[in-house]
Amino acid sequence: MQPILDVENLVKEFPFKGDKKNGVPRAIDDISFQVFEGEALGLVGESGSGKSTTARCILHLLKPTSGKVSFQGSNVLEMNKNELKSFRKDAQIVFQDPYSSLDPRMKVGDIIGEGIEIHDPKISKQELRNEVIEMMELVGLRPDHFNRYPRAFSGGERQRIGIARALAVKPKLLICDEPVASLDVSIQAQILNLLQKMKEELGLTILFIAHDLATVRHLCTRIAVMESGKIREIGDRSQIYENPQHPYTQSLIAIVPEPDPISERARLVERKLSKLKEQP
Amino acid sequence: MIGNKIESKVAPTHAGGPLLEVKNLKVSFETVNGRVLAVNDLNFSVQTGQRIGIVGESGSGKSVAAQALMGILRGADISGEIIFRGTNLLELEEDHYRKLRGWDISYVFQDPLSALDPIRTIGDQVSQVLRLRNVKAAEAKKKTLEILDRVGIKDPQRRYNDYPHQFSGGMRQRAMIAMALIGEPSLVIADEPTTSLDVRVQAQVIDLFNKLTEEQGTAVIFITHDLSIMAGFAEDVHVMYAGNIVESAKTDEIYYRSIHPYTLGLLGSIPRIRGPVLKSLTAIKGKPPAPTDIPPGCPFHPRCTYASSECAELKPTLQIPKSGNHLSACHHSELLSQKNGSR
Repeated sequence: MQPILDVENLVKEFPFKGDKKNGVPRAIDDISFQVFEGEALGLVGESGSGKSTTARCILHLLKPTSGKVSFQGSNVLEMNKNELKSFRKDAQIVFQDPYSSLDPRMKVGDIIGEGIEIHDPKISKQELRNEVIEMMELVGLRPDHFNRYPRAFSGGERQRIGIARALAVKPKLLICDEPVASLDVSIQAQILNLLQKMKEELGLTILFIAHDLATVRHLCTRIAVMESGKIREIGDRSQIYENPQHPYTQSLIAIVPEPDPISERARLVERKLSKLKEQP
Repeated sequence: MIGNKIESKVAPTHAGGPLLEVKNLKVSFETVNGRVLAVNDLNFSVQTGQRIGIVGESGSGKSVAAQALMGILRGADISGEIIFRGTNLLELEEDHYRKLRGWDISYVFQDPLSALDPIRTIGDQVSQVLRLRNVKAAEAKKKTLEILDRVGIKDPQRRYNDYPHQFSGGMRQRAMIAMALIGEPSLVIADEPTTSLDVRVQAQVIDLFNKLTEEQGTAVIFITHDLSIMAGFAEDVHVMYAGNIVESAKTDEIYYRSIHPYTLGLLGSIPRIRGPVLKSLTAIKGKPPAPTDIPPGCPFHPRCTYASSECAELKPTLQIPKSGNHLSACHHSELLSQKNGSR
């Protein structure tokens, strides 16, 4: 099977002035992975692991230092302006912070419709409006929200706007960069369920970035675990959760808290004891 | 205890009773859209050394309630009683309150970056708590180095002179905790202290609270929207929704035998790392109401799967249902306690 996205030996360095004795720090340190059509791949890592930088390099929002990103067989990094424009229609992103990622001076309908218009400048006003309303209904927003500004919406609703905006141009690949991290628990579940539904109904391919392994478990069938710019382990859901090979993956699984007081108390005691053992 | 050397910790009259007793607490604000009731009739108590969890989502009133306890709410109408060691804090003069605040009751803020002063060193800010109480500079520094070490900041001698921007998020939260605990308070209110942190650091912060409160016998009110993070820490849990406590019980009762649809919904919303992989999570529909727009009757009824006509009209009171054994504000608690309760 041909991958829809193929990342090969991707490196991103952030050079700085001054002492380079220890080399230039690498946010992404030679990673390779593939995303196949119709699947949801989870990319999991803690802050500073390089997961968001990876997303930005894939979409060419950042220029990687070296490596190759292929989308449906063509190298994203060598695309000309027109190719890049059509790539950006096919690959969309939902950002983490639904507050800073929506233009506060644009109406919701315009935010969602902007992409449609850019890629289809001849579209009639009525058609555009119909498409936008269709998108709004798809993600669970009311059509009468069309003329409101983002400030009138809660975090979860803003994230729905962000998802509608991304899906409006009918992308093949949707990159979600921690889309639920800043939301209330009851709303997180709504957004995760919405993405699951979009995946099934639209045949969407999803690259879902998260900082913990619990969030991606129900949505993603394959998981990649990142640490210090490297992919430590990549595998099927069953392997990652039931038989993790890399010690880092194991520690990341062990650390996720669960709403289960008896096991949480046991883990609290366990951590306390292992800490006591460490001390001389 | 260093406290005794400087000045006695508030009212000496406290004997036997709970450390803190909140009675009929109501907090409202005057806004352009009229009067908003952010906290509606809150009742709970905290015993010496007890760990209380308060769970709620945005707009539930949990932070407003906490800030009311600290006396740091400006422009709010507060009624009811907040009895701390036998003294009603709402009747306390600002001078006395100031002596208490940060000293016998302290507060850990959610966002350590905005709670710390960016242009003063960590050591300066942590030791200030002591210096304000006339502890000599050298003694204050010694105590500060000790507490920085105890909260797990490595090489405190060097870190003492660092500025907040030189600390990572987890380290800043440790510094905030150091600041809250240096006066050896009898009550710490922690308002979402783990929310902006990585899971690993969250666990470290919980461990730290666990260790320090065990050592010092400090009572903790731990406020969060995350039922997982405090499952192993809290002894009693109060669930808040739209300014009210809707369920209140021992931790295990809440997690294993909840009799309130909102709590059950919250528990179902959490993605689990163990157990069967679910097709979808059992999300709660809709969103929490804004304090300006609380529905009549039971405030949860528009989102509730159990809602009946009664729920839209009559607000349920917080009470123990006949076949239940803990407090719940729901017309269907009786039904739920037969289903989920005392098994």
